[in-house]
Amino acid sequence: MDPVGEVLARSAAVSISATLIAVAIGIPVGTALALARLPGRRSVAAVVNTGMAVPTVVVGVLVALLLWRSGPLGGLELIYTLRGMVIAQVLIATPLIAGITMAALQALPPDLPDELRGLGANRRQTVVRLWLEARVPLLAAAMAGFGHAVSEVGAATVVGGNIHGQTQVMTTAIVEGVGRGDFTAAIAYAAVLLALAFAINALLTSVQQRGSSWARS
Amino acid sequence: MGAVVSLRDVRHRRGGREVLRIDVLDLAAGERVAVLGPNGAGKTTLLRLLAAIDMPTAGTVLLDGVRTKPGAVALRRRVAYATQRPGLLSTSVSRNVELPLTWRRVPRPQRRVAAAAALRRLGVAHLAQRRAGALSTGEAQRVNLARALALEPALLLLDEPAAALDAESREAFLADVEQALDARTTTVVHVSHRPDEAFRLADRVAVLVEGEIRQLATPEALMRNPTDAIVAGVVGYENLLEAEVGDGGAVAVAGRPTGLHCSVGSGPAMVAAWATGVRLQPPGAQGIPATVEHVSPGPGRWEITLAAPMPLRAHVPLGGPPPRPGQSLVVALDPALAAVLASPRARHRDRRRRLVI
Repeated sequence: MDPVGEVLARSAAVSISATLIAVAIGIPVGTALALARLPGRRSVAAVVNTGMAVPTVVVGVLVALLLWRSGPLGGLELIYTLRGMVIAQVLIATPLIAGITMAALQALPPDLPDELRGLGANRRQTVVRLWLEARVPLLAAAMAGFGHAVSEVGAATVVGGNIHGQTQVMTTAIVEGVGRGDFTAAIAYAAVLLALAFAINALLTSVQQRGSSWARS
Repeated sequence: MGAVVSLRDVRHRRGGREVLRIDVLDLAAGERVAVLGPNGAGKTTLLRLLAAIDMPTAGTVLLDGVRTKPGAVALRRRVAYATQRPGLLSTSVSRNVELPLTWRRVPRPQRRVAAAAALRRLGVAHLAQRRAGALSTGEAQRVNLARALALEPALLLLDEPAAALDAESREAFLADVEQALDARTTTVVHVSHRPDEAFRLADRVAVLVEGEIRQLATPEALMRNPTDAIVAGVVGYENLLEAEVGDGGAVAVAGRPTGLHCSVGSGPAMVAAWATGVRLQPPGAQGIPATVEHVSPGPGRWEITLAAPMPLRAHVPLGGPPPRPGQSLVVALDPALAAVLASPRARHRDRRRRLVI
């Protein structure tokens, strides 16, 4: 197995990149689903909600089929690469972030968008203000997206292949350790993964609770 | 400078139903108009069209001659719409008031001055650094109005701003609103379902019923000469009685003379009478025989329910002893506090009777 520090850095880079991309896609998609009166909105919302419950290994298989050398996107040569793993994790985290964003914005007072427009806000100003009003659940969405991405093992194994020195991440290293009966290494990796998850969530929780206490008081 | 507002052939449909139908409505610059009507009459719909939040299904809404259209942010920014729910954002009071000015790219020092002045005018300057979520309902309504006034809008739209307040808070709030508006030339449209509130803040009052303006007049004209029984009910007449106008113009209720006279035509009519205009007389006098059903004390008066050929309400000053329940009386109507209206049965003939005093 690769050294812990190397695997930790790889895990963090893949999952943080995937979370940032998923936030950039999921929040606007969730916002459109909550606010826009588009045809087919309910069907898309149902797809997003279903995406929240799809097993990560299924996502991994679908992404692997697309990225496989003979697959439709095989020319991009992303299978068994960190970029391929990021794509898989983006697909895992985005529905979760979009779904929570949609629910968070729908939980705001229904008249609020019109009230903001009545005070002269344009579309961009209205959306930004609604995000700020829903900042606590939106941060929860980002945390949930990161948690989902960093903890998944199915897609990382299928798309990344757990190649030592290239695509091995914390979760695949833990599975490999258990498979080889090397529980000491598996527990060590698990402890470090927990510490990473805790550190990032503690940071986001601190920002979230600062926002929450401001809104409450 | 206040805006000139014009509506032409406006129709608005919602849920497959026409909820607003206004052929012509013109507001002069600086005019204050109250829109009075029951719940569901279309009052908020009208405000949303004026605020350019919704577009009419048909017809035009013009602000200083410019037609409202979707996405016309510059036009929308000439209007400030204070909704019934204060809709304050989860930030400080001062930031709430400054934010719409930020959207208009007003420089920070001017924003601060405008916000402070507006909060001071509404008596809530001391709350400037407080979180909006910590305000009482009354304080939030004042901040909501201050936020709208700070914009110095050409058209100010107020949607039942005092609806959630108790009687005491409402009185203080309306006094402050009156004072804040007095120094301005802003055109104001104020929606209410309370006649006292509408009359207090308005130069003219539009009575809106089932999406149509039934009457647009000064508060005094509305109180003295409601155009029909529905308007009379909306403006607060406590008694609406079916009546008959005789050949000589004498108005009778249940075949008994009322003391009222009507100048034109004979036939069925309606009498609208304020409870303060119902005179109680001893049996044998000329008028409508009635029996006292219920007596209760009100603010400075006795409030009396009478059983006559139709139910009647009378208010008499608290000074004397009240009549007893079961007591027989004769009721006469004070011509200065009653109006004779076209009967709904005769409305299609467009009859309009004027009271002769």
